[in-house]
Amino acid sequence: MSKEKVAVLMGGRSLEREVSLASGRRVTDALQERGYKVIALDVTADLVQTLRAEKPDCCYIALHGKYGEDGTIQELLEFLGITYTGPGVVASALAWDKSVAKYLFVQEGVGTPPWITLTADAFKEMGAATALDLVPGELGGFPVAVKPSKQGSALGLAKVESAQELPEALLTALSYGEAAIIERWIDGCELAVSVLDAEGGPQVLPPVEIEAKSGLFDFNAMYTAGETDYFVPARLDEAHAAIVEDLASRVHVLLGCRDVSRVDMVMAEDGTAYVLECNTSPGMTETSLLPMAAEAAGLTFQDVVERLVRAALSRRS
Amino acid sequence: MGTARVVFDRWEGRYAERLSDVRSSAVRDLFAAASRPDMISFSGGMPYVDGVPAHVVADAAHDAIVEQGSCALQYGSSEGRPELRAFVTELMAEIGVRLPADDIIVTAGAQQALDLLAKVFINPGDVVIAEGPTYVGALQAFSAYQPDIRCIPMDDQGMRTDLLERELQRLGRRGAKFIYTIPNFQNPGGVTLSAERRRRLLELARAYDIPVIEDDPYGRLRFEGGHIKPLRALDDEVIYLGTFSKIFAPGLRLGWVTAPRPILSKVLLVKQAADLCGSAFAQVVAERYFAGSRWRRTLQGLTRTYGERRDAMLAALEEHFPPEAHWTRPEGGFFVWVELPEFLDTDAMLAEAVEHGVTFVPGTGFFPDGRGRNSMRLAFCYAEPERIDEGIRRLAEVLEDRLELYRAFIAAGAIPSRAEGAA
Repeated sequence: MSKEKVAVLMGGRSLEREVSLASGRRVTDALQERGYKVIALDVTADLVQTLRAEKPDCCYIALHGKYGEDGTIQELLEFLGITYTGPGVVASALAWDKSVAKYLFVQEGVGTPPWITLTADAFKEMGAATALDLVPGELGGFPVAVKPSKQGSALGLAKVESAQELPEALLTALSYGEAAIIERWIDGCELAVSVLDAEGGPQVLPPVEIEAKSGLFDFNAMYTAGETDYFVPARLDEAHAAIVEDLASRVHVLLGCRDVSRVDMVMAEDGTAYVLECNTSPGMTETSLLPMAAEAAGLTFQDVVERLVRAALSRRS
Repeated sequence: MGTARVVFDRWEGRYAERLSDVRSSAVRDLFAAASRPDMISFSGGMPYVDGVPAHVVADAAHDAIVEQGSCALQYGSSEGRPELRAFVTELMAEIGVRLPADDIIVTAGAQQALDLLAKVFINPGDVVIAEGPTYVGALQAFSAYQPDIRCIPMDDQGMRTDLLERELQRLGRRGAKFIYTIPNFQNPGGVTLSAERRRRLLELARAYDIPVIEDDPYGRLRFEGGHIKPLRALDDEVIYLGTFSKIFAPGLRLGWVTAPRPILSKVLLVKQAADLCGSAFAQVVAERYFAGSRWRRTLQGLTRTYGERRDAMLAALEEHFPPEAHWTRPEGGFFVWVELPEFLDTDAMLAEAVEHGVTFVPGTGFFPDGRGRNSMRLAFCYAEPERIDEGIRRLAEVLEDRLELYRAFIAAGAIPSRAEGAA
């Protein structure tokens, strides 16, 4: 008996298009191996028409970045009455805006580095550039991280060591989106902690430790083989591992995520963990963090993909 | 549970050292495809092959097999077929270079000649000199042999020979392995090396005893102004690279190199190692295509088309681009080079441009050392005039948005306001 029909959504117009295509191809192969009827769809203007004609039993969202991760595709699929993998509209939108997510972290007592959010309009219309001298005082000096508030794959990310470098980094970050975040730089161990929903609640996968050879885990480090070392599970003692896992699980719940999320954090040298952001459509490429963590937990790539699809299918009315 | 280090490329650590400098930018790769159907691409320097009459090429290919199959399908000589080399001597004579067919080696595009010459000349750490910005493919070909590439800035007369002289003074006699230049409608700069500078460059090369490599893919694509003699016509020690990619089609992968005999014999040696011989089939097709004079009318048509597109791009830039931007006005070739105020990052801007449905190549790719962040190359050869206007309009929107922000930073004194340099 053939299993259900799954539409894998990938590509689209996002800046992470190529990454998404790579994720989508792997997901497609995995589902085919598991006996599903799979249609791989590059998201174009024909998407709705195609979905209405094909009538899939659910969609697998292998889109990353804008439209795929910000609630846009989720809301569209809700409207079309097609269930899909991963977090819903609200959780996606909250997590996508790093600044909003950080306000929620603070509100719920989840540690996150102090930050300032400045929009392009604040610079253009209100003279925000005249206040940049206040930044070091506000964040406790340099270095700071500068990044777009809404963007995946660390595109537009910079580590800024001095006041002179700040305007340029802001101009760069703002070319990826309407708002930029300036955040205190936390030295320490970078961690990606993936969460998969299980029957008894969120299951936290072994944390992955990231060590970029350049010192900055940016787009290049992420997708160039050999630029980054990964350690799974992270080289943490039990107590610290427990802190990190608890934090990931709390973030997953407080943003209202379901099925899957990946929480990125830094563990400072003093053992304090800071959450940087939460990804609601984690990468599924050959070099992605979630599949790496799953493997360490004894789950194959196919297991993870099928689990997400079963969850989406179970939500069919 | 033990910690396992995850290794993706299990052959990592076994690759040759020479590959360490050869890399591509991940972000640039992202946009290389420009796969959206409504995307207007100013990225690729792709010749307008639709302008080459397909039936003429079809006849040439058909006859190559039917009438000359025993040659066309066989191995050929490493130097290339005598017939094609004889034709190259005619082409060279037309631009003022007289030489025997024996002085020519047919290569797989001029690109292969760049690789072969790099292999012949460059030891790790050797200095080579090029224009800055320069052709990406040359940087790639050279990088594999681990040179120290020094870039000489250009102005509207081409390479600044005064700055070249300063560099040569530092390096001393034979201090560089060669000087690489694209004198006509430079890629990516769009500028042409003036007759006076050509003479000066050769004087300096002679004085410091450094070979010159003249790469001339676009020389026959002149829309206006008078022909300027190639360096090779002024000095028969110049190594000259030609190509059929722009006067016929890049799909055949045919080019040529001429050089002093001793150098040529080294090139031949490494070429034999690289591929034994070039495609005899492609060469026979080219010989047949270039028989008679029809190809000249076709080339005139192509050149007219490129000229119209250049006009469209310059007009669109004039109309849509903000005053802070400066660009070159090429008299031929494929490219316009745009410079923006400092602090603007065209790598980052490409992201937004793609969202607006237009692509270009960010400037950093044309330098070996991270320079060029505030510049971009626009290829006018590929898009039709109306699309060019629309594409430049889209790009101007992105620029205007960036500049508004940039002006706010300047007004606040957050970044210094500077007199912008000429393009």
